[in-house]
Formats: sequence, C-alpha cells, structure tokens
Amino acid sequence: MRIAWRGVELRLLLPTLLLVPLGFIVTHVALSGAFEPGPLELALGYVALFVGAHLVLVAFGHRGDQLLLPAVGAMGAVGLVMLNRLPQDLAGTSAFDVELGMAATQLLWFGVGIVAMLAIAIGLRDHGILRHYKYSWAAIGILLLAATLLFGYEVNGARLWIDLGPVSVQPGEFLKIVLVVFLAGYLAETRTLLTSARLRIGFLSIPPLPYFLPMLVLFGAVMLIAVRLNDLGTALLFFGIFLTMLFVATGRRSYVLIGLLLFVAGSFVAYQLFAHVQARVDVWLDPFADPLGAGFQPVRAIYAFGRGGIFGEGLGQGLVTLGGSLTIPFVHTDFIFTAVAEELGLLGAFAVLGFAAVLVFRGLRIAALARDDFGALLVVGLTASLGLQTLIIVGGNTKLIPLTGITLPFVSYGGSSVLASFVMVGLLLAVSHRSAIGTDAEPQP
Amino acid sequence: MIATNVRRLGLYLILSFAVVSGSIVWWQVVQAQALATRGDNPEVIAARRSLLRGTIFDASGQVLARSQVVEGLSTRTYADPAFTHVIGYSSFRFGSTGVERAFEDLLVGQSDPNPIRQLVNDVLDRQPQPRDLTLTIDRRLQDFAAAQLGSNRGAVVAIDPTSGAVLALVSTPTFDANPISGDPDVAQEPMDALREDSAQPLLSRARQGQYVPGSILKVFTAAAALDAGAITPETTFPDQPRQETEGFVVDGFTIREHDLGGLQPDLWALSEGLQVSSNIYFAHVGLDLGADAFLAAARRLGMCASLEIGPPDRALSVTPSYVTQPVEGDCGPFSGDVELASASFGQGSTLVTPVQMALLAAAIAGDGVMPHPYLVSDVRAHSETDAPADEVLQRFSSRGGTRVISTEAARQVRSAMVDAVNGELGRPYAGQGDVTLYGISNARSAGKTGTAQLGGEQAPHSWFIGFAPAGEEASAAIAVAVLVESGGSGSTNAAPIAGQVMAEYLRLAAGE
Repeated sequence: MRIAWRGVELRLLLPTLLLVPLGFIVTHVALSGAFEPGPLELALGYVALFVGAHLVLVAFGHRGDQLLLPAVGAMGAVGLVMLNRLPQDLAGTSAFDVELGMAATQLLWFGVGIVAMLAIAIGLRDHGILRHYKYSWAAIGILLLAATLLFGYEVNGARLWIDLGPVSVQPGEFLKIVLVVFLAGYLAETRTLLTSARLRIGFLSIPPLPYFLPMLVLFGAVMLIAVRLNDLGTALLFFGIFLTMLFVATGRRSYVLIGLLLFVAGSFVAYQLFAHVQARVDVWLDPFADPLGAGFQPVRAIYAFGRGGIFGEGLGQGLVTLGGSLTIPFVHTDFIFTAVAEELGLLGAFAVLGFAAVLVFRGLRIAALARDDFGALLVVGLTASLGLQTLIIVGGNTKLIPLTGITLPFVSYGGSSVLASFVMVGLLLAVSHRSAIGTDAEPQP
Repeated sequence: MIATNVRRLGLYLILSFAVVSGSIVWWQVVQAQALATRGDNPEVIAARRSLLRGTIFDASGQVLARSQVVEGLSTRTYADPAFTHVIGYSSFRFGSTGVERAFEDLLVGQSDPNPIRQLVNDVLDRQPQPRDLTLTIDRRLQDFAAAQLGSNRGAVVAIDPTSGAVLALVSTPTFDANPISGDPDVAQEPMDALREDSAQPLLSRARQGQYVPGSILKVFTAAAALDAGAITPETTFPDQPRQETEGFVVDGFTIREHDLGGLQPDLWALSEGLQVSSNIYFAHVGLDLGADAFLAAARRLGMCASLEIGPPDRALSVTPSYVTQPVEGDCGPFSGDVELASASFGQGSTLVTPVQMALLAAAIAGDGVMPHPYLVSDVRAHSETDAPADEVLQRFSSRGGTRVISTEAARQVRSAMVDAVNGELGRPYAGQGDVTLYGISNARSAGKTGTAQLGGEQAPHSWFIGFAPAGEEASAAIAVAVLVESGGSGSTNAAPIAGQVMAEYLRLAAGE
C-alpha cells in the first residue's frame, strides 16, 4: 500500500466544504439578526468528515476518480446548510438520552455513509466478485421487498436501527443497488445474445424473449410490489434504471422504445384504473384548479420558485410561514430543492443541478473507462440511479412531470437515502480505482 | 461497444438536464412576476394576515365589522349575521366575498381613493393605511326586515328610488361569518357544514337567487305595454270576461285564470286587471305588446344580463333575471305566443332575482327612471374607536338613474298599483302591504302581490313588490321587493312583511 496524493480532489474539496461554515454563519445572522458566528460544531464536523475521507483515500493509495468526492461534498453542503436553516424539529433523533436535531441527525448519517463508502471503495478491490452472486442478490432484493409488503411498517426492515434514530428506512433505497448489481451481472453475460439475436417484425426488432425472461420476471415482481406499495417514484426510477442499462448493454434504441411504449400504455391503464393516479395527474395538469386543496403541494412549491427569482431571497430570509408552519410541504425531503431555489435562487438551483451533473458525467466516464462489461454496466446503473433520481424529483418539484415522493441524493434529509447514495459512490470509486491501476500498471501475476 | 453506448447515453442525459433546467427558469424567471401578485400566493396571504382591515359601519355609525391585530394576526369580528350576505366575509382560508371582496384594496389600504395621494404613497413606498366604510343600510331596518322573514327562506330588498341607495338587503337563512374568517385551521369544519346545509345558507338569495316571479311581473308587462302605446289604462278586451271562466285558447293551449274566489268576472281595464291580478287580462296585454317589444323593455329594465350594486368598479354582482329561456347569458327568443302570454303574467320561463324586482318597483316609483343601486356611502380614515372618523376620503352618492319607461306610463302603472293595495277589488290581495295598517297615517302604499306557481306539489313562492309613500303629493322614499320561498300566496306572507318594512323605514326616517 503506497500513499497516492489526490491533489485535484483536495483543491476542489476545500472551497466546497467552506460553503458549510459560511452558510451556517449567514443563516444564523439572518435568523437571529445578530452579527455573531453562531453554533458551528456541525459545520466543522462536516468539513472534518470529508477531509478525513480524503486523507483515508490518500493513505490507502486509492486511485479512484477525484471529482466524485467534491461533487458529493458540495451537494451535501447545500443540503446541510438548508437543513440547518429549517426548523430543527421537522425530524431528528432521540436515542441513548441524546436529542439530535434534524441537521445533526443528517450529519450523523453522513458519517455512517462515508464510512460505508470508504469501506467499499478500499475493501472491494475486485468488484467482479459481486457478479458471481447475482441470483443471490436478486433473491435478497425480492425478500427485502416481500418483507416490506407483508409486514408493512412494523417490521420495516431497518427498524433494527431504531437505536440510532426513529428512521423509517425505505427498502427501495437499498433495493435499487441490489437490482443494479443483478442487472449488471445478468446483462454482462447475455448482452451478446441479446444484441445478436434477430427476430424482426417489420421495422421493429423483437427482443429474443427467452434471454429476457429471468430479467423480466425479477423486474416485473419489483415493479408490481413498488406499485402495490403505492411508491410511484421508486417504480418510475426502477423503470428508468432498467431501460438505461438495457440500452447501454445492447445499444438497441428499439428496446428502449418498446419499453417506453409499454410505460405509456401502463400509465394510461393506471390512470384509468386507479383514482389516486388520476388525482395526481389531474393535479399535475392544473394545480391551480384547487390551490388550497388537491393542488396544495405543487402550488406552494411553484410560488416558492417564483419568490426565489434569479438571486434568491437569501439564506434565512425566505420561506414564508402561514399560521406558524412553512408553506412548502415536505420541505426537508421531497421539496428541499424548492427551498434551495427559493433562498439561493436560480443560481443556487443551477449549482445543485450542476453538482449532480458532475457526479453523473464522471460516472459515465468511469463506465466508459471500465475494463470489464460488468463493471461498466454496474457503474452505468448506479450513475443512472443517482442522475434519474435527481431529474425525477427536481422535475417533480417544477411540475415538469407529476410529483413522486423520492429524495434528492445527498441533499434531502433521510438516513436510508444518504447511506444508499454513499454506497453507490463507494462502488463508483472502487471501479474507477481498478481502471486506474489497470491502465497505469498492469497487475502483476 | 459499451463505451459508445455510454457516450450516447450521455447525450440523452445532457438533454434531460437541459430540459429540467429550463423548467426551473420557467418558474424563477419567466413566471416569477406573474406569480408574485396572485391572490392565492402564500406570501400575499401571509402579508394580508397581518394587515389591519378597516372597519365597516352601518348608515347610523354602528360597527358591523372590525379587525384587531393580535400577535401579528389580524382577526376580524362581525357584529350582525343579518349583514353577512351584504358584507360577506374575509377569510384567510376561503378568500373574501361581498363588500369585503369588492372593497378589499381600500379596506386594507393598498390603494388610496385619492389618485394623487396614491401616487405619492407608491413613490414613497408608504405603509398601507386601512380605510373604513359606511354602508347606506341602517342596521335597524336590516335587522327589522330579517326578523320579519324569521325562519323563512327568502329575501327583502329595499332601495331608495330617488338615489338608488340600498336600504336593506336581507337574505335568509344567513350564517355567522366569524368562524369562517377566523383561525384558518378550524375554519374548514364550519364551512363544510354550511356547504352541506340543505337550506343553502351560503346563497345570497337577494342577489343570486332566481325565482319564478308570478303576478308581480304584471307590473312590468303593464309598464312596457303603456310605454309602447300598445294599451292605455282604459283598454279592455271584449273576450276577457268570458275567458275568465272558459279559458283563453292560445295556439291550442288553454290559459286559465287563477281562483277568483267568489268574484264575478267583468270587463276589466288596467286598474281592475291589476287589482284582481287577472292572468287573462295580462295575457292579452302581452300578446298585444308583442314578443320583440316585450324583450326590448325587459332589457331596458336591466333584465337578461347581470346587474351590479355599485359603486362602479367595486360592485357586487347580481345574477341575471330572465323572461325567456336563457341562451348564452341572454334572454333567448320566445318559443311562441303561449310562452309570451305566460310570461306576461310571470310564469312561462321567467326567473328573476329579488334585487331586479326591487329595481322594477323603484323605476315605477321614480316616474320611469330606474336608479343605479349602491350600498357604500363613503370611505373614511380609519377610526380606532367605535365611532366613525370625521375625515371622509371619498363619498359615493347617487349616480342618477336610467330612464326605462316614460313618466306618463310610470304614473299610470303607479296609479294601478295604488289601487291594487287600496282599491275595493285589490284589498283582499295586496291590502296587507298598506303601511297605514302598521302605524303610518300620512302615507299610502302602492304594490303588487305575486304567487309564483312552481308546478307539482311545491308550495308557490310568495312575492310582493311596492313602494311608499305612493300619493301624488310626496315622492316615494322606499321601494321594496319581498320574497318568501314556498311561502304560499303573496297576500298572506310577503305583503305584510313588505308593508311593515316600509312602515318601519318611514318611521325611522321621520324620527331622524
């Protein structure tokens, strides 16, 4: 193990990390009206976490991509500053006689996530072993969801962590990683067959069904359960991940086209059959029809965007309250992007989107440079997951698409989301490290 | 191979990020300005919640609605539910209605009645100053009229025929506006209860209720026909006495008289026709007048379109009244002579509002000039006490009226309406509208009852329109329309209410 300096990472990381103490001070001054720094333990803790992560990677001679950590650090910085600005009783932890506010709890999860990320980035020297257990992963995934479906809230999988906080863990957050690993393994094996098999009817290439079957069965089961759980956002995300990986594995636009057609047809059927889907689409089409009732959420979000304008109202100076409560619903989770857009304006909103884009396009670069199909597909799936999740929730906030309740990676409050996102970044680091040592010096026999 | 596909995927993702960015720009830049001023914008709502609203006084200077700001929250108190359908409510949750809505900007002081001061305020970015309003309605008359209606569903509209000032505007049942305008978190439940109430307390019957008028519309038919020269007060119809018993066949449809009691049919002219409220007589009048002239007169009197209770720009709207089946908000054509003949005595497809009928009475009382109604008399500086401030910022007064029929025709109708209340034939029907029965000795009333048949088992609506004093010597001080939903005959229910309301007003006016 040799030390490997990661200068780019450090130079990018330091200014982004500075955002947190700065943001905390600005918020404190705006909210209290006094020119004093205010409590900075959390901000300094955040800086320490990322600097620590950087040093550990350096110490272990990690050669993985150097832009991932700064991008994650920047997104998390905006998120933590915003969570610190919001009322701390929106969420939090009380365990072991310790009361933690929302921002403190989020920081705690960042700590857990960074440890997980480092463990994977450093420990998983050969990601190839993941593919050997792909059916085990599939089974774990199905069990995970089936448990949720059967036992509901009470045995909600990770309720084991209740000692760390009353966090309602969303199995979907972890299931998507499991699903990506399985699909990457399966597609890496069968992609040649899927690509070469020719079955044409007219201009459409019909997929060779037998090879698709195991994948479709698993995928169908997952979708069915996600829809059954009324988790439309997760269902949409899974579908997007699936189509993206299929496209990258086969290069067939027709598969994606068929998938999209099926999606449109399915959506139409769902719209006709389910009242709650219908209500959601109607609200999406015209939220102002009932601005105080059904259209409440999107309307309040739209006004927040409007208030923000280009430069924003300033940290601690926006977010109108009505009757003592904030007007933006679910402001710390589904709508945190809206809160950022209000107080930091279009510039802040673009910054968050830009950080996400850096993460996504570095991910694609890692995929393109990966030395094996499995690694490439794994990275594509994880990147697609992070990117699509961002696009779906931001698009839902701006009413571009119907709103579905999923988190904005590294920005929204939520332990499961933070932990799962860090696990994904850990996997990206692991794959890129392997590519890096492969290109510089071939592994010795 | 995979690397190529990844690059293609990258292009799609760039496109997606661009589209999502565009959607943010749409709200934060393109639409930002338009969103900022919308009424349901929470920022606007929040600002309004802390704004002091001006007080609303009745004509005698009593407080009807006032606000106090307690811990940053402006709370409004309404003193008298009899005024709910006039003042409306200002609710954080449901917006505002009535005068509260029409005068919103003045009450919260977002605009100044004086345009120059408004400009100065805008330039200097001054804090809004709330303004107080004074209504033209005296609380005593409003409460009296509401008490007369009691638990009935109905409306009383009283207007000064000369100025157009609204003297009473009562709709029953009414409701307490306080819980709805109060704490937005608890306002939903009382509102739901009101919405589900089968008596429809949220409906402002005086302005928004549309009812079959029955015989009160004969006043209109007479006025229109006299004005057009289709009849004179002496006109008789030779077939009429026979048709009173046998029926009047129009296009194969037999029009029948209402129950005349023991009265023997005779050859009646206008006065007698109106006194006994002969359907046959007025069917003839309407047919002689003709469909086109009938509709033209209806439009001149404000029917077939929505009306406004001013002042202009801050008006309360009144639902249109129709004499035929409406087509796109206007009166459609008559389907034939049967419909025309039926409309002539207030049946057929006629549907009218109490406000419109009060204006009809006011037009007759005012020698053919229909006043422009208004119900706020002035805007004043905000008063911290229970008495209105002396500083009047803007005064609303009569805007005159519109001549809708000739003076001569109006006087001829008035004479017949005086007979309807006081004449030997009319007394049994409209006699209860006589103000002398209620302690007024120096004035007479003119009026007309209506018993609007609704078909089926439903009890008819009871109507009365009229005015007082109705003699030649003094001009009328008050014109009224009284409606009692399913109240039976006009003579037993609406007429005494109208007589008492008119008498009470004359008493109040004399006392001041």
